Amino acid sequence: MPSSCPECGSSNVVEDDLYSQRQWVCVDCGSVVSEGHLTTTVSDETQGRAVPYHASTEVLKKPCRNLIAGFSRVRALCRILRLSSDMESAVVSLFERAYNHPNFIFVTLTKKEILGGCCVLSVCRQCNWPVAMGTIGYLLGVDNATLGTVYREFTKALNIEISTIGIMDMLESFCYDFKLGPQQVEEVFAEPPQRLVDRTSALIELAADAWIVTGRQPLPLLFAAVYLAWQSLNPTVRMKYTFVKFCKIGKAPEQSWHRSRDSVVKRLKELRDVLCKLGRELPWLRGGTVEPNTVVPLVDDILKNHRALLLRAVRNYEQQLQNESQTAQTTECDNELSDSNRSESHSSTTPELMDPDQAGCENPADKQATDCQLPPDHWSKRHLFLPPCVKNRKRQRVDAPQLEVTGDEEISDSEIESYIRSQDEIEMYLKVQKELKKMA
Amino acid sequence: MDVEASLENYFDQTIAGSSDYIFEGDLGLQGPAPRLQDSSFLSSLTSQEKDLTEDLDLSFLPDELGTQDEPSQAENLSRNEDSGIYTDCPPRESTEADTDTSNSAQNASQFNLPMTPMTPMTPMTPVAESSGIIPQLQNIVSTVNLACPLNLKSIALQARNAEYNPKRFAAVIMRIREPRTTALIFSSGKMVCTGAKSEEQSRLAARKYARVVQKLGFPAKFLDFKIQNMVGSCDVCFPIRLEGLVLTHQQFSSYEPELFPGLIYRMVKPRIVLLIFVSGKVVLTGAKERSEIYEAFENIYPILKGFRKQ
Repeated sequence: MPSSCPECGSSNVVEDDLYSQRQWVCVDCGSVVSEGHLTTTVSDETQGRAVPYHASTEVLKKPCRNLIAGFSRVRALCRILRLSSDMESAVVSLFERAYNHPNFIFVTLTKKEILGGCCVLSVCRQCNWPVAMGTIGYLLGVDNATLGTVYREFTKALNIEISTIGIMDMLESFCYDFKLGPQQVEEVFAEPPQRLVDRTSALIELAADAWIVTGRQPLPLLFAAVYLAWQSLNPTVRMKYTFVKFCKIGKAPEQSWHRSRDSVVKRLKELRDVLCKLGRELPWLRGGTVEPNTVVPLVDDILKNHRALLLRAVRNYEQQLQNESQTAQTTECDNELSDSNRSESHSSTTPELMDPDQAGCENPADKQATDCQLPPDHWSKRHLFLPPCVKNRKRQRVDAPQLEVTGDEEISDSEIESYIRSQDEIEMYLKVQKELKKMA
Repeated sequence: MDVEASLENYFDQTIAGSSDYIFEGDLGLQGPAPRLQDSSFLSSLTSQEKDLTEDLDLSFLPDELGTQDEPSQAENLSRNEDSGIYTDCPPRESTEADTDTSNSAQNASQFNLPMTPMTPMTPMTPVAESSGIIPQLQNIVSTVNLACPLNLKSIALQARNAEYNPKRFAAVIMRIREPRTTALIFSSGKMVCTGAKSEEQSRLAARKYARVVQKLGFPAKFLDFKIQNMVGSCDVCFPIRLEGLVLTHQQFSSYEPELFPGLIYRMVKPRIVLLIFVSGKVVLTGAKERSEIYEAFENIYPILKGFRKQ
């Protein structure tokens, strides 16, 4: 470091930086004695670091690699779902907006992938092109819940209005997913898509009337309905094929139905129960038993006359309720006893219409009834067809008795003391903690 | 616009003059309400059927509101019980005293509800004759300020009913048995109390927690107790067609069966969110007052009855 100025000879040289360039300047005459050098190696560089790309002043920024990858993924999704080119471009522009939105620019890569799916879903909804969230979910490999949270954030962040789609809209494209054309499978399995769509839509309408559709995931129900429809169109041959077999015959992509297999089985059971309830009303069966396993051949007849059968079933059920209330009035002690006795006496005259749960918890033959704990005068007893969540209430809700307090009462000291540790307890606690720390 | 200025004027007068009005929601007694709430409140006054989609209908206002006799208008408002909405606007040129007061009376009456009398809008007991069902309160969330810094480690050590895991959450979680509630106590002295089934229970529970903190050696006070959220539920006892409801009430409802089995209905007045399920059970949340829950249920019940299927 220079200590004397060559110009005037004074020793009063101070370090005075000019715009961050180190300079040594003479105080007396003002001449620059020496300056700092521009360093030539990274190790000499004492301040500053490399400028990151996003803070650089490059005017035309190239889109980042993840965005480009996202675009290609989104386009692939659009092509799988066979969207039109207009929709595809709408999806791409929406994805660009979403990607660069401050809420989404720094999220994980998986979330960005899901964001692409949400863009596709949103554009499809806007253009009335029915795509289920489950479809997008299995294409991306995520479950509905994750997809749902990202979708909700996405619609809120970009102020997009959500429109709901119904199960009937999704039906046609769903049915066309199954490859059951005459060239693709054997003769006995083949089904022209239009017939399948008609039969399935009739089944779904019936299910909607019987309260099986509302509030449920649509995809398992669609699977169950398509399966039953396919079976019922040629029952003699197709009855022996299980649902899994059917999916393999129709070459449905495994990821789409694999996860929801259990739900599909439950919906199948519910659908068959509804068909049984209606099948019993068929006059030409003359009160014969209709079992869930054997109801499929009757589906054709049931669907053709479903309105009349529904009316008959509901009317007969109401009649039966009236009869029961009358007999309950005449014999008071019967209330608990014999729901099962009554049902036996009635089965010879009118077809068995008993809701299994109506038999209460005493009917041992019905394993479903042991779960239910509905009070005997619950409003659900009056309806034949009800949403299953009402009938299968597993646990009786117990409302705790309400405390009547004013909020300003006296609080007893003893009560508060009961929440505070005594000195011994504290010492013991600290001792144990110390021991645990020693062991760990 | 002149009309909007006079609307604001009207609200100032009614807030200042009459104590019969109890404003709900955000429209408090703090001064001139912002414009958005003016229109929504006015439209709710004029629409008889609480049709939330109706636009503000100013056709009944006179062409020029001009100068009004302020004190007499306030008097007239409190005097008026039932009055119709006058569709013909009286001329404003009259300078006689009685016609002036009659004009202002007419103007005042034009703002009054034609059907409902001037009773407080928040009844203490719910009007149950319309539906016969009273929603039960299930949870109350309240906050209170203990106004002293707290040593959470010492509280967790000395109290039997406390848990404290600073790595997971920066507050002590304390529970008491009666009323059965849980409290989150923060080191700043703020406390959140949840789980009570009524406002009084919540207040009593919060006081008990404050007492415990006091006994542990901190000079805790009990400032600004406020109920932040109330949750209620009830059962309408018939199944509901959610798909139909979302079609007719699109602007308020959101129904995604793939994400959640219930329909989420965001009612505008009162500002309550309702979860409506196919089984007929309804959950109402977001209320600050019990009356908001009752009112929201009374608003939704006729809508739900329309979707009952026999």
